[in-house]
Amino acid sequence: MRCPIETQDNAEVLLSYSARRLNPESTAILEAHMEVCPQCREFRDGQRTLWEALDQWEARPISADFNRRLYRKIEEQEQLGWLERIFGAGRPMFLRPALPLAATACIVLVAGLMIDSPGRVAAPVAENPQVREVEQVERTLEDMEMLRQFNLVSAPVTEEGEGARSM
Amino acid sequence: MVAVAALEYDAELMLRVKNGDSASFALLLEKYRLPVIHFLYRMVQNHGISEELGQEVFLRVYRSRGTYEPTAKFTTWLFRIATHLALNWLRDGKNEKGQERLDDDSGESRSHDVADRKPTVEHSLVQQSRLNEVRRAVASLPEKQRAAVLMHKYEEMEYTQIAAVLNCSESAVKSLLFRAYETLRARLAHMA
Repeated sequence: MRCPIETQDNAEVLLSYSARRLNPESTAILEAHMEVCPQCREFRDGQRTLWEALDQWEARPISADFNRRLYRKIEEQEQLGWLERIFGAGRPMFLRPALPLAATACIVLVAGLMIDSPGRVAAPVAENPQVREVEQVERTLEDMEMLRQFNLVSAPVTEEGEGARSM
Repeated sequence: MVAVAALEYDAELMLRVKNGDSASFALLLEKYRLPVIHFLYRMVQNHGISEELGQEVFLRVYRSRGTYEPTAKFTTWLFRIATHLALNWLRDGKNEKGQERLDDDSGESRSHDVADRKPTVEHSLVQQSRLNEVRRAVASLPEKQRAAVLMHKYEEMEYTQIAAVLNCSESAVKSLLFRAYETLRARLAHMA
């Protein structure tokens, strides 16, 4: 047998021997070699000491609530996953930047309507119809302007998307 | 059919998890919880962190169930995730967490009855000191060498599997282990 210390390829034999994972046949050959090789004996003794030292290092027990914490996290992830599927995954990429703007526009619109509604109810019946028409036109123009701004944000991306689709 | 029959049991369990069988996930968790956390504990040397990372490992396993393909041994995949997380943690927070890591378990052997006799206390202190030396010696190894040693010594993994986990060749693993054990032997030689 060629000395495992001298041949790097055989070095694993010594490691496996020290770890008691060498097959009986190779173990017998190596032990015979060790009888005449002080270097390998030294390696074996050193590795044995090291092995015993490493054996002293026992890992601590795991917390009793490890599984409970894990399953809670999994549950949270599952819930997040559902929300993501509803609000995230089905949403086309090009719409994502425009959505916060659209949401803001909706809120402003709803708020505007809520503010306007009591005014309309409380408005005197005898009010000049021309004034009401002007107000309505102004409101319509404001709404259209808001929609136009919204379209400006989403329009270039949408066109790009349509362009890609037509290609 | 032949391929499915040849599948290792763990991979089969994972495929069942993929198909919505949560009981199979519980089996895998029960089987690998200890080895994974112990490996992580010896990597980061902090009990709390090792459990947090362990939770992340199993969370990732569960999250990846939909895309799981049994291309490698289940444990290779599992320890690859664990090693990746441990190495990331070490790289991200080594400086600020270094002290905490080594001091974390200084009371590991406090379970001895200190009210007994003097030799017990002395023995306990000697044991503690030796243990700290072992931990420091392992912690001083380069990260990849450390991971290789822990998988080889404590998890009794084969060279091929360690190579697959560390994403390197088998000969590279042998070389890593040889150098690592050489360093450890030199540092802990006085413990004979």
